[in-house]
Amino acid sequence: MISSSTFHVITTELTVGMFALSGVAFLLCLIRKGPISRESVAHWALLGGLIATPFAIISGINSTPSEGITDPLLANKVLLSMTSTGIAIGVLINRKLGADVDVKHSSLGLLSVGLMLATAGIGGEYSRGETLLFLVPKETVFLFPLWASIMIAVLGIIMISKSAIQHRV
Amino acid sequence: MRFNLIIISVLLILSSTISTANPGGKGDDVRSRDCAGSCHSAPSTNGQSSAILALEFPGQVYAGLLFDMTSSVGNVEVSSNNMVGYNILINSDGAKDLPSNDGWEIITDPNGGKNNYVEIVDSFSSFNTVNRTWTLRAPSSVGTYQMYLAVQHGTPEGEVSMTGISSAFSVEVIEVPEDLPRLSPDWQPPNSRQIGESTTIKLETLFAETVSVELKNGGQITNLQVTNGEFTIPASVNEGVVEWRVIMEGEGPTQTSPWFRLTASAPGWEIDETNLYIQATALLLLCLGLVLSFRTPTVSYLKEYSDNPLSQQSDSNGPPIPAGGIPEGWTEEQWAYYGQEHLDSLEGGTNQ
Repeated sequence: MISSSTFHVITTELTVGMFALSGVAFLLCLIRKGPISRESVAHWALLGGLIATPFAIISGINSTPSEGITDPLLANKVLLSMTSTGIAIGVLINRKLGADVDVKHSSLGLLSVGLMLATAGIGGEYSRGETLLFLVPKETVFLFPLWASIMIAVLGIIMISKSAIQHRV
Repeated sequence: MRFNLIIISVLLILSSTISTANPGGKGDDVRSRDCAGSCHSAPSTNGQSSAILALEFPGQVYAGLLFDMTSSVGNVEVSSNNMVGYNILINSDGAKDLPSNDGWEIITDPNGGKNNYVEIVDSFSSFNTVNRTWTLRAPSSVGTYQMYLAVQHGTPEGEVSMTGISSAFSVEVIEVPEDLPRLSPDWQPPNSRQIGESTTIKLETLFAETVSVELKNGGQITNLQVTNGEFTIPASVNEGVVEWRVIMEGEGPTQTSPWFRLTASAPGWEIDETNLYIQATALLLLCLGLVLSFRTPTVSYLKEYSDNPLSQQSDSNGPPIPAGGIPEGWTEEQWAYYGQEHLDSLEGGTNQ
């Protein structure tokens, strides 16, 4: 068997690799250059990255030497990765429902990729003390009060529901 | 264009160094040498460290009892972060080399943990020797054992990672005299505490009639009162290490335990994890809702969408087919979807 640390390396490389590939393809979609397969590549790679993400998160938690979240970097990783996941799922659903791969759609895809790569950058800062992303928040975590989080969640659910109803109509 | 890309790619590959992985260290852990070496790429690509390495043991090491071991590293130039990884091993094979394989137990490593690999930051140089103390429990079987000290570190130039391993140091583990006053084999000292907390420790001893405890704080040694095998180390106001030891008297020869180290540290960073996970879920839902609301209103032809992106505009003929026909290798369906983009790019190229 392999340790959770090794499994985490495998899953993070899968996740980051898939997202990076998706990012390149979305960039080509944005500038409308490159092979015609760029749209399929962008979305399938994004889906692959999304599938690998939960494994990366779970193995990451298991491989952390300390118990629980004991560093602001880890808290920011959780927030950034979930934000990225939300955007990525939205981009994929939009595409499945037939959205055109226009500037708006491609930009959202790129935003999702950027957030996930920032999450990976924070991982580098946490484990090795170095990252290319010099602006990653190292000591600050924007934590809302519980009532605000619940309101945001309710707002999100309303928006999702409204979107689903519009789609049916 | 393609040639330029190849040249740039080759230059980028050639500009990379052989191995500077994990320049900030990998963190203390229980690691074999092979694993420790792989943190700086493959061991075969490492440089040979010039460090002079040594392990020092007390005169008598009793089976199953605690003792202090001193590791020293000298004559070494390291990277700007002044960090060296110390690895205590039982062989130099890179496999089955953990001290626990021979029955050794690391009670306190130099950083206050229980690991055989620790990363030490100190004034390493060719003129300085850095000593660190480990508290170990000897194997329960008597015999002659071997111990190694391996190191890994960077270089001032930061190009190649360096590794080194000492020659074998033999240590003779002898039988414990029957009536030797000693600490119980199951007893373990605490290694850490938080600032502002006093620490009450209960000792478990064998064959000891009187027990006293000495506390060393800075250079000063004070005696602590022991009542029913319990004593209290006063709270620390700053981060740091206090050392203490037990002196046990009985029918056998008087025994003094190794200096145990108790590290005081500030309370760790904490967060309400439930709140964090709820907020993370809320952000996921909000972002999902926002992105879905950004979707271009669905029109009838989009409902016929399939996995093939070309099918989205299957009812559109695209731009007029030029006199020379559609480009070679293109289908009419591709022309319908990408034709305008192709014409735009041709127009752009012509303008240039």
